[in-house]
Amino acid sequence: MELNINGKIHNVEVEEGMPLLWVLRDELNMTGTKYGCGVASCGSCTVMIDGVATRTCTLPASVAEGAEIKTIEGISTDGKLSEVQRAWIEHQVPQCGYCQSGMIVAAEALLNEIPNPTDEDINNKMTNICRCGTYNRIRAAIHSAAKWKAEKTDLLD
Amino acid sequence: MSENNKKKKRGKWSRRAFIGIGGLAGLGLVVGVGGNIYLSRNANRFSGKGFGEGESLNAWIRISPDNMITLAMPRAEMGQGVSTSLPMLIAEELEVDMSRIQLVSPQPEPAYANTMLLGGGPRDIYSSLSFMEKIATFLPLVATGGSTSIPDAYDLLRSMGASARETLIQAAASKWGVDKSQCYAENAHVINKSNNEKLTYGELANAAAQIKLDKVPELKPKKDWKLLGKPIQRLDIPEKVNGTAEFGLDVRLDGILYGVIRHATYHDGAITSIKNLSQIEGMKGVKKVVLLPDGRGVVVVADNTWRAKNATVALDLEETGNKTLSSADIDAQAQNVIDNKIIATPKDKGNATKILDEAENVIEATYDVPYLAHACMEPINCTVLVKGEEAEIWCGHQGSSIMADGVSAVAGTAYEKIKVNVKYLGGGFGRRAEIDMILNATYVAKEMEGTPIQLVYTREEDIRHEMYRPYVKSKFRAKLNGEKIEAWEHKAALQSVGYSSIMRIKPAFADPPKKDKSSPEGAAELPYEMENMKMAFGQIEAPIQVGNWRSVGSSQNGFFTESFMDECAHAARKDPFEFRKNLIKDTRYKNVLNKVAEISNWNQPLGENKFRGIALCESFGSIVGQVAEITKLGDKQISIDKFYCVIDCGRVVNPDTVEAQMQSGIIFGLSAALYGEITFKNGEVEQYNFPQYEMVRMDVAPTIVVHIMDVDEYPGGVGEPATPPAAPAIANAIFAATGERIRSLPLKKHGYTFV
Repeated sequence: MELNINGKIHNVEVEEGMPLLWVLRDELNMTGTKYGCGVASCGSCTVMIDGVATRTCTLPASVAEGAEIKTIEGISTDGKLSEVQRAWIEHQVPQCGYCQSGMIVAAEALLNEIPNPTDEDINNKMTNICRCGTYNRIRAAIHSAAKWKAEKTDLLD
Repeated sequence: MSENNKKKKRGKWSRRAFIGIGGLAGLGLVVGVGGNIYLSRNANRFSGKGFGEGESLNAWIRISPDNMITLAMPRAEMGQGVSTSLPMLIAEELEVDMSRIQLVSPQPEPAYANTMLLGGGPRDIYSSLSFMEKIATFLPLVATGGSTSIPDAYDLLRSMGASARETLIQAAASKWGVDKSQCYAENAHVINKSNNEKLTYGELANAAAQIKLDKVPELKPKKDWKLLGKPIQRLDIPEKVNGTAEFGLDVRLDGILYGVIRHATYHDGAITSIKNLSQIEGMKGVKKVVLLPDGRGVVVVADNTWRAKNATVALDLEETGNKTLSSADIDAQAQNVIDNKIIATPKDKGNATKILDEAENVIEATYDVPYLAHACMEPINCTVLVKGEEAEIWCGHQGSSIMADGVSAVAGTAYEKIKVNVKYLGGGFGRRAEIDMILNATYVAKEMEGTPIQLVYTREEDIRHEMYRPYVKSKFRAKLNGEKIEAWEHKAALQSVGYSSIMRIKPAFADPPKKDKSSPEGAAELPYEMENMKMAFGQIEAPIQVGNWRSVGSSQNGFFTESFMDECAHAARKDPFEFRKNLIKDTRYKNVLNKVAEISNWNQPLGENKFRGIALCESFGSIVGQVAEITKLGDKQISIDKFYCVIDCGRVVNPDTVEAQMQSGIIFGLSAALYGEITFKNGEVEQYNFPQYEMVRMDVAPTIVVHIMDVDEYPGGVGEPATPPAAPAIANAIFAATGERIRSLPLKKHGYTFV
């Protein structure tokens, strides 16, 4: 099957039912997207499919054929961090960091849909698990990223 | 008073029975005798494997000609920020900027032993090692746990940095032909005061390495610190926001195959045969099916984790084991242990039992908490390659020496032929100090010599087969005398974590359960003054493995003692804060309690339907006070609005990390308090993934306000101490809101829901 991942076409030979997560991780060695539960509960495996945050551990890769798949590896453009990534550093969000790929992708999708989210919006959209409990900082980072995006703040490191 | 004397004076450390002893026998005895042992060549002996080019000034510091500073990072980064805080200790004294630092994960060699894990107190660099510290260094326990990383390394690493700096200054002075007092170090350069001439550390390293010091240089006074005590950005975060940070599960190697484990279903059982072996072997991608020793599990190896997982689910197994074990049996046994089978009394001050037996108006309550899984975000995994006489291991693990032990034990590989690669840990919490994943992965790798094997526990296997925080039942009795507690008695029934965990790693070093150090943690010593106090415990016999779970004994004892303390306050008709305050003499406890009352405006009334609860616990050398603020939305529907958290951890290394760990520890404690339970029915664990073993998520997580006390004392740990007070703070708030005293966790089983 043919998958469009971060703007690049990948051809993979796998059975129809193989979840996108395992195509990414074991067939393409793109390990930024994480395995956490395998039942679409924890959200560690979140990627964007046509801009929508999607849990890939139960999603057959074949379903994503023809769509634009964006993983954590594709969030920065030309080596420049996104507002969300920059905010994640500014607020020193990650602890162990394992869930943060999924969290960052979910936050990107949230801001695409709702540019200036309320706390309630964040509660509704950020449903992934962080076992280290970084929720306070994730919330603060999303508000910062939203502000920077709105102000088009140039994010030079 | 010197810092050294202060440290000795403090002397109150909740010593923790931990994980046993790693071994690198090939390296021989390296322990020095007498003062300044850390300056001797032997104590710093290390191979330099993996350090790259440059000159080593000691086991921790290598300097390259282009003036990059490479530091050894032998502790596991599992989110607690240790890969920034330990380098800060060195960099402060070495006088280098954090941006110039790169880290390597060294082999588990004696120089990197965590002596505090076994020694019980912080390392004393001014005198000889204690017996246990010698053992910890001789058979190096290179491990991360017990919130020990900072207390263990605090003096040592600053001394390493200071010694290296001193030799660099001396090297420059002799090059310039001036007295060393004419030179100073700044930002990885030595500068000549008289003419501002500069040499880089890189230019001086070769000469500096030849200089031997006869004493540890004076450490910088606190007022001169540039890094310590400042919120320094973490070195590991940039690669954790773009997907490049490599966790154990992300290891990819040429020819790698993926093995997924299916454990024996019953915890005391075994797999005796695979009934459909040929069918499994014929499944797409399957390369091999391996039955583990003693039938403890089957590993299906395939070319893709998902294919391997599907094959393990399709296994048709014949199994033995106790198929009737249930949580109710364990609960029933616990009551009998408390009444009839006490084996140890770690605290027996005055005549608590006699007074309580004879008194009227005794306050009595029995509490219990369930088994708990660690549920690290990254499921357990380990990658091993066995090739002839050599072996290599990649794992996110809390003990690099335990990794080497496991490989050597199973593959028979000599220690010097094992290469250990410690990866980032997607959570540790004590689970990743265990050896099972290493033994299992190595067994399969040995069966498939020459092929790197990544062993993966699916989330279901991770939750259903691990070393749980024990189920614990505790019975309390107390007698008040006015506003004082005249007598307090606490009897607990549980399985010994120390015994269970060390038996898995180094049986010869396991203390019997009656000597378990973790069972009385946070129970035998309380912040409060009592004339008569007793704490005793006995053992539950169950075929269930128990292990170190973030904050260990204090994880249950914090909930028990601080809830029962609230019961005492209620019986005395006193405000829970005032009642506690009047029982405390120790200034540090008192200051923390007062501070948390102050920042939470304890004495101000809250709004309608809003309530609060308070708790105060000491663990791992740090004191934490918390106030939970909740809103009662319906009968049993609760919003957890806010947590106020005050910590006294002595001197602070990185305040931003301390704040993060307070937030983390509270959420961890809340997940357990609200939802966490592992239960047994028909011999099987009933929970198998997050839908049954739920976690606090964004919508339920409270806002957490952290205050760090400014206390000039030797540092305590911060990774665990925020967890113990979280459950009692919330349970006490629920009592205030509903009048229902929660004596058994989790809260969800009493019908509470949270938004």
